[in-house]
Amino acid sequence: MTNLVPLNITVNGIEYRLYIEPNITLVDLLREKLGLTGTKKSCNEGECGACTVLMEGRPVASCMVLAIDADNKKIITIEGLAEGEKLHPLQEAFIKYGGIQCGFCTPGMILSAKALLDENPDPTPYEVRRAISGNLCRCTGYQQIVDSVLKAADMIKGNQV
Amino acid sequence: MPIKRYMDRIDAIEKVLGQAKYAGDIHIEGMLYGVIVRSSIPHGWIKNIDFDKALTYKGVIKILTQKDIPGENVYGIIKKDQPLLAKERVRYIGEPVAIVLGEDESIARRASHLIRIEYEKMDVVSDPLQSMNGGVKLHDDGNLLSHRKVIKGDIDRGFRESDVIVERTYRTTWLDHAYIEPEAGLGYMDEKGRLIITSSTQNVHYKRNEISRLLAIPEERIRIIQATTGGGFGGKLDMTVEGYVALSVYHTKRPVLIRFTREESFLSNTKRHPLLIHYKTGAKKDGTIQAVKVDVTGDTGAYASYGSTVCLRVAVHATGPYEVPNVYAESRMLYTNNPVSGAMRGFGVPQIAFAHESQMDIMAKELNIDPLEIRIKNALKRGSKTATSQELGTSVGFIETLKAIEPFWKGRKKSGTRGFGLGSMFYGMGNTGISNPSSARITLTEEGKIALHTGACDIGQGSDTVLLQILCETLDVDGKDVLLVRADTDLTGDAGSTSASRQTYISGKAVQLAALNLRAYLEKEGFYRGRGISEIYRSYRDRGFPPFEGYFDPPTEALDMDTAKGKPYATYAYATHMAEVEVDRITGYVKVLRVYAAHDVGKAINIKNIKGQVYGGIAMGIGFALMEEFIPGKTESLDNYYIPTSMDMPAMEAFIVEDEEPTGPFGAKGVGEPALIPQAAAIANAITDAVGVRPYELPCDLERLKKLL
Ligand code: FES
Ligand code: FES
Repeated sequence: MTNLVPLNITVNGIEYRLYIEPNITLVDLLREKLGLTGTKKSCNEGECGACTVLMEGRPVASCMVLAIDADNKKIITIEGLAEGEKLHPLQEAFIKYGGIQCGFCTPGMILSAKALLDENPDPTPYEVRRAISGNLCRCTGYQQIVDSVLKAADMIKGNQV
Repeated sequence: MPIKRYMDRIDAIEKVLGQAKYAGDIHIEGMLYGVIVRSSIPHGWIKNIDFDKALTYKGVIKILTQKDIPGENVYGIIKKDQPLLAKERVRYIGEPVAIVLGEDESIARRASHLIRIEYEKMDVVSDPLQSMNGGVKLHDDGNLLSHRKVIKGDIDRGFRESDVIVERTYRTTWLDHAYIEPEAGLGYMDEKGRLIITSSTQNVHYKRNEISRLLAIPEERIRIIQATTGGGFGGKLDMTVEGYVALSVYHTKRPVLIRFTREESFLSNTKRHPLLIHYKTGAKKDGTIQAVKVDVTGDTGAYASYGSTVCLRVAVHATGPYEVPNVYAESRMLYTNNPVSGAMRGFGVPQIAFAHESQMDIMAKELNIDPLEIRIKNALKRGSKTATSQELGTSVGFIETLKAIEPFWKGRKKSGTRGFGLGSMFYGMGNTGISNPSSARITLTEEGKIALHTGACDIGQGSDTVLLQILCETLDVDGKDVLLVRADTDLTGDAGSTSASRQTYISGKAVQLAALNLRAYLEKEGFYRGRGISEIYRSYRDRGFPPFEGYFDPPTEALDMDTAKGKPYATYAYATHMAEVEVDRITGYVKVLRVYAAHDVGKAINIKNIKGQVYGGIAMGIGFALMEEFIPGKTESLDNYYIPTSMDMPAMEAFIVEDEEPTGPFGAKGVGEPALIPQAAAIANAITDAVGVRPYELPCDLERLKKLL
């Protein structure tokens, strides 16, 4: 317990000042230290995307990021997407259009999709597929996930009008 | 037309919020973490285990071995032949030997690496054909786990009367379920000293029974609850972590969490059985199939798991969805020192479908008949007799699936290295020739809700939602009036496993029957004239809560041990897929461009769920056809086991055929495994159409296809 290092991190808008082991990964910090188990861990080697979170708005595999490298950074996890009772359009669309089966890939999927829509509010199906190509899903065959993301894009555009 | 009552998935909201608790997400103050120590060799005697370093590692609480098992150290869903922890001998790489329990996960893991196991190595048998010839004996009762025959008509006459005979050999390899959630489970003792386990599982009652035997404690002292489960596909039917969790809690009296890493998941979970299939088909000039002779040798690995089920199912489904007058199908399942193979989406039928569908296309080519025509010509229909001589009475929508695909097939335009292929299948719903009932119970709540209690495990496919829809449809009530109590051995009756595509059909029927009982009561009580449930609840309580129960066991008949004559399943699902592929002749890369899939599901309960199953099945079929291969001793993680990504997926269209099954709820059958079964076959046929060479071995990956080209 001697060589803990200080960390300043903002997760879903809440600022944390912690002392952590220097080798702990971001996924373990979120899940084990902050209790944010919405972020999933499946391969722990950057292959599956289940652990995807947004760091400064960009999707990262949080199993491949050391928590100390997130020092002074802003992180968004699946728990930080809804605003109170109000679901994010991606969350609504995933429910409505079949984007979810077992749900284990869902948090990572939704965050990869959010990063896409934040940058490109009007993606083509191909762009959606590319954006989630690092997120493995064993249940859905991705079709209804892609549909959900496209519908969410429509919903967001609709809201802005 | 689907049933009227539609529902979005009831589990979706907590999943999009990140609130759903999978077993590995649960945290209890003071819990320990367990890590399994596994054998590093495929076969040998354990001479000595040196625990000293691990035991003194700071934070290690206990190390458990087979000596610590108070009850019977053996389990297995059909045949009990697998030790929870190796006794004196290990039979495959990855066989569990000990459990290390530590204050945290990394302590347990690091300590587990400090344990030294000394072995006396034994000869290894890694080929089922070699296993058949004896030499190395793997189990006391020999190396042959199971041997089944399906015999119909006169096979010799069938071939004598055939104008053309096609004879080929097909091979498939090990596949991993690769569900995105690795196996996990948490256990603890409650205040009354009962053992509570929450795990990622496809069945709760079976696991309670196994743990009771392992620990020699009565079932009443054990409660198994299904946690939200991140996919199963058959891999969470066998005991995964539950036995280890149970033993650990038993000895430490503390909460214990065991969650596998991806590497442990690959090392430990059961695989799809590799099959070697010799297939001989005889047909008349006009394309009528006269005879089918099939000889299958399968590798079940070190222990039985579902090996005998796969053995029988493969033989029963050997002809595919065609009426064949003369059949001789023989299937053997052998023990080897390979990984344990078990249940994986389709129980061997995807493998045999690859063979019978390839045969169909080869035969069509020989006879110069269109592949769709030859399928229609031989298709099972009402009144047909299957290979087990079962006469099909109702719900045989196979030809309709072919007809649904026909316009696309007729409209196909072959060009360059682009090709098209068909794959068809039939699949018996539920377990093979044995009783496999489900039960359901409904209660009313004080708050005015109708509560459905079902032991059925929703593993992500959506049975929770489907069962509630059936409840609502039967009672004519809304989704907001009902709630679900699910998969908890204390609160729900046995619904059997979530396997064999049986939950919609069998548990769905049990729910419908229970709901009909309740409906009669509610009618009497004036519910349909406006009296509320809360009010009815009070008179219901005064009557001592009469239960509204439903029970359904599909009408099957045991199969004859020598010929398999009988009625293995009450009903079958049917499907046809069409694949369009483009092949790169230089690299051997196959791109699946488009898939049309038509499924006879009986009655559709939830179209979105059905389509979700079909698309997911297509994905798994693409993996099976082109990229997935588990190589024992080599494959370790998703780094060298490739499953399809969003970029590998084609354009897909799913068509639903509804030929209602009278014994099913509102006529429903199911779709879980059928979604996958014909896909690899369709791709193999499309590859042949594209480049003129035929894959006889799956996966047809770059290397294999380049060799063929
Ligand atoms: S768990 Fe991080 S990519 Fe798989
Ligand atoms: S929904 Fe199960 S892994 Fe994607």
